[in-house]
Amino acid sequence: MDQRAQSSVLFREIKRHRSVYLLLIIPLAYYIVFKYIPIFNGQIAFKDYMALDGVLGSRWVGLEHFRTFIRSYYFAELLRNTLMYSFGKLIFSLPIAILLAIAIYESNRPHLRKVVQTLAYLPHFLSWVIMYGILLALLAPGDGIINDIVKALGGKSVDFLTSTKAFPWIVIFSDAWKEMGWSAIIFIAALMGIDPSLFEAALVEGANSWQRVRYITLPSIRPVIVIVVLLRLGTILDAGFNQIFMLYSTPVLSVGDIIDTWVYRQGLLEFQFGLATAVGLFKGIIGMALILFSNRLVKRFGGNALY
Amino acid sequence: MKKQRVLWICLVAVLSLITLPVFSQGAKDSAATGPVAIELWYGAAVTEAGPPPADWVGYSIIKEKLNIDLKLTALPSNESDQDVKIQAAAAANNLPDLFMVRRDVLGRLVGQGLVAPVDDLYAKMPIRTATHYDSVSQSHARFAGKSYGLADPGSINKNEGLLIRKDWLDNLGLAVPTTLDELMDVLRAFTYDDPDGNGKNDTYGYGAFQEINNYEAWPGRRLEPIFGAFGVDGTWSLKAADPGLMVLKDGFFDAMVFLKKMVDEGVMDPNWLAYKKDDFRAAWKQGRFGVMREQNAAFAAESNYAPFDKNFPNGEWIVVDAPIGPGGHASIGPYTASFRIYAISAKAEKAGKKDKIAALLEWMASDEGYYLLGWGVEGVNYTLDKNGVPVADQIANRDLAFTGSVGQTVTQLRNMVFYNGDIELLARYPKYITATSKKEMSALEVLRTMQTKTWTAAIGSDTLPIPNADLKRFYEQGLSEFITGKRVLNRTNWNAWIEQFKKLGGQSWNDSAVAFAAEHGLLI
Amino acid sequence: MNKKKKVHLRTVSIAVKPTAADHSFNLFVDAFLILLLVVIAVPLWSTITLSFRPNDYIGNNLEGMFLAPWKWSTAAYKALLGNAGFVLAFKNSFKILVGGVVCALLLTIPLAYVLSIPTLPGRKALSILIILPYVFNVGMIPTYLLVTNLGLIDKIAAVFLPGAISTYNCLIMRSFFEGIPNELKESARIDGATEIQVLVRIILPLSKAIIMTIGLFYGVAFWNDFFHAMLYLNSNSLQPLPILLRNILMASGMNEYVEVSAFGDAPIAAIKAASVFMSAIPMIVAYPFIQKYFTKGTLLGSVKG
Repeated sequence: MDQRAQSSVLFREIKRHRSVYLLLIIPLAYYIVFKYIPIFNGQIAFKDYMALDGVLGSRWVGLEHFRTFIRSYYFAELLRNTLMYSFGKLIFSLPIAILLAIAIYESNRPHLRKVVQTLAYLPHFLSWVIMYGILLALLAPGDGIINDIVKALGGKSVDFLTSTKAFPWIVIFSDAWKEMGWSAIIFIAALMGIDPSLFEAALVEGANSWQRVRYITLPSIRPVIVIVVLLRLGTILDAGFNQIFMLYSTPVLSVGDIIDTWVYRQGLLEFQFGLATAVGLFKGIIGMALILFSNRLVKRFGGNALY
Repeated sequence: MKKQRVLWICLVAVLSLITLPVFSQGAKDSAATGPVAIELWYGAAVTEAGPPPADWVGYSIIKEKLNIDLKLTALPSNESDQDVKIQAAAAANNLPDLFMVRRDVLGRLVGQGLVAPVDDLYAKMPIRTATHYDSVSQSHARFAGKSYGLADPGSINKNEGLLIRKDWLDNLGLAVPTTLDELMDVLRAFTYDDPDGNGKNDTYGYGAFQEINNYEAWPGRRLEPIFGAFGVDGTWSLKAADPGLMVLKDGFFDAMVFLKKMVDEGVMDPNWLAYKKDDFRAAWKQGRFGVMREQNAAFAAESNYAPFDKNFPNGEWIVVDAPIGPGGHASIGPYTASFRIYAISAKAEKAGKKDKIAALLEWMASDEGYYLLGWGVEGVNYTLDKNGVPVADQIANRDLAFTGSVGQTVTQLRNMVFYNGDIELLARYPKYITATSKKEMSALEVLRTMQTKTWTAAIGSDTLPIPNADLKRFYEQGLSEFITGKRVLNRTNWNAWIEQFKKLGGQSWNDSAVAFAAEHGLLI
Repeated sequence: MNKKKKVHLRTVSIAVKPTAADHSFNLFVDAFLILLLVVIAVPLWSTITLSFRPNDYIGNNLEGMFLAPWKWSTAAYKALLGNAGFVLAFKNSFKILVGGVVCALLLTIPLAYVLSIPTLPGRKALSILIILPYVFNVGMIPTYLLVTNLGLIDKIAAVFLPGAISTYNCLIMRSFFEGIPNELKESARIDGATEIQVLVRIILPLSKAIIMTIGLFYGVAFWNDFFHAMLYLNSNSLQPLPILLRNILMASGMNEYVEVSAFGDAPIAAIKAASVFMSAIPMIVAYPFIQKYFTKGTLLGSVKG
């Protein structure tokens, strides 16, 4: 095919889809205004931003803000903690949410199913302030329920909330606790789309329930799982600011401080918006690298990739 | 094709129908002629009570008398949120005309050229200046020689005290402790000798939580009486002979050792590191501990004392002297003059609104403004007793009284008019008889007692330079780890930690603050 | 969709004799659900009892968590309903909710659909264009500057417009659209339907569950959005529920006037707990309706019919 023919094919394709592009106009305009103008404003990451001079008028400072972040005394620790929490949540909370969705889908008891489905998402609405109160009632060293049990059994009470060993687990578990039902909703929605005739076929072939889940249910929602994982990888350096900010205290800063809490203390509370924006870009670079890598991986294994 | 076009038009129509009314929602700018619009971002007196209603009488009075169209915005309910909101508006050069702001943030706004100096306004507000702005106040928000904020009096000085359960002391036959060692004995007895006689091992000696600010560094306000016994209470020493960071002074290590001993012996409520303010306050009302540092009204005001009174009709807290440490030191803690700063944006100055703002503030200081913003409308929200003090108990509808749910909304601006004068204090802290034990209580008397105790003068210590986030974290985290045992507290480790702290910027922080204090005449 | 054609899994399984593996599977599933139910019930129940906790409550945490109903006090709910700003805040939140969800769905659905067309020239570039801003979150100030320049400060729309397309939700929706069998779309296209017609006639009826779900995601996000409301709204009359809720949750954090409480005799802990339930009511009410669309084999009727 010569050049001309190729471009005419492309042209034909575009022409065939012209009504599609019509659908695109408004969302695309939206993206340009509400997503790309802020990115353009994001140049303050490379500037000494002065409100009176505006975005364009402020002085360029090159990579200074990035340097401030990377040279922070705690940089390595912040990165480690952030990755620990976001991967911890990905590895722990996500499978639980998927299991919960499948269990709701597969259960033979309609009442149980209904009750779980109606209640499971509710903890999502409890703010972290409330969750902290609950965690305190459970884990407080003086009179927490768990420590009462420990003491009744003759043990010594443990200050879970201020112990650097226990704190990461508390963060990951409490996140799963609060969010698993909510995260499961999307998988439940995906399960509802499974064509039941597939199950008929499986039954005819004598598959048991375990095999049915293994070979039909899970593969059917795999595209959604893949997309969710890919998207979460893209924001891997967001480890849950609201939660950590509520739960951490000075004794556990060494395992509790994450990039976002650092930026909050250093950047937002101290009028260093260039720094805050620079850290945002830094997080984006890591996220983009992870997406590029894992998207490739997904494509190689024949999955539905992001692009 | 036609159908498609129709559908498309419908889509756009629906979209715009839905968004347009929402776009146009919101405050409309007043006409150019009419009254001068002044946008005020205020710190609410009772954040959870809600703003003044749209038909608040204050709006029309201010419009009539001053030709000002006042637009009120309640700042968010905690300091960090306030900082974020103000700084975001500042970044877009969109600050309101008049706004409350913390000193740290104000300093940065001044550096950006976004705030107008107010030195010329004091003379334009003679009444207000007489009651609100003394020389300390006028220099509080001074940057590079100019005053950039009107610093209204904030909370009352020395309004906290060391409190002990007198009934527990009596039950155990103990005397009021005067020295740190005696205090330790009392704490042990409170923890292990069942002071409430309920047969359960459910009490502790000392109750606290971490409450930190610029001049009361870790472990913070609630434990200052312990650190005061070693002469190292507060972040800063402002003694001319030996100024600088307390943490670098000799006594600090000893104070840490003592605190560690309290924690290790179990006489501190072990929840202290996990508590937030509400948890702490709920805990003493449940009789968990027998010694604490608490604010006068948080302890003695009617609504705060009531649950304790109901739970422990025989319970009694007394305000005691600060315990004397081994070196003869004693202090409840450092005190500084606290202020609430209102700043005027450079934008407002440019629009020529400064004089109008001064007129507004001066009106607030007049009798009319003072009572209207402080207590509401006479006969509706308050009545005056025979001494001329506003009281709430003659108001038939309790919701309307200035202490009630509706009354609180129309007195949200009272922080802008109050200056801790006698009338205010009498109105704020009336005498009352407790519901269950029928005791006479007065938060004002408690306050007066608290103020007689030994405190460390540290005026201006809240204006000293603050460290960057990394150094601050190193400082607080290190101290707390020595107490939790993550770091072993001994001389060698301590010295090593101090060295590292100095190297990380602690030394230059110390030096710059000492220079600042000397330059501004803060050393005593 | 034809109701009769829905084949329920249960009816099929009864026809075949369950094996031991099936039994163990059912046991496992039910045990797992019951375990999770208990785990979820703990925070919910303790928040409920906390919201009814009386002012003079003393007792250990276990009793507190399972406080007997005859000791309950409704002071917290009374105080909240008596709060001057509650009704107004609820109305404002409702405006944000409705405006936000409608805008969001009208913008997200077409975009997700276009991205789901595999033959579309430029699809990959478009996807990347959409993923980039999702990954590169430049944060608060660049967006704040935009909102200011658009004149949206102190307008309700400012709370939801910057978040009216969530890339996350959009790409999830695309993945569901991609799951719809291609034959359906192709046959419609061969019949001369335009893409808009395909979207409206074929895709939307088959995607009620996911549209409801994504609508729920948007709705909850807008309903709970404290941060943007705090940043962009100034007028007291525009403040939505999350602001009020935050004022309550943070109450006593910095109040100088500790001698007065907006809530009379109700303990602050109970107020906090009760306010959570009060603000979650619309979602609690809406969820069962959304659940109705979560029926098995949603696709089936149309594929065969």
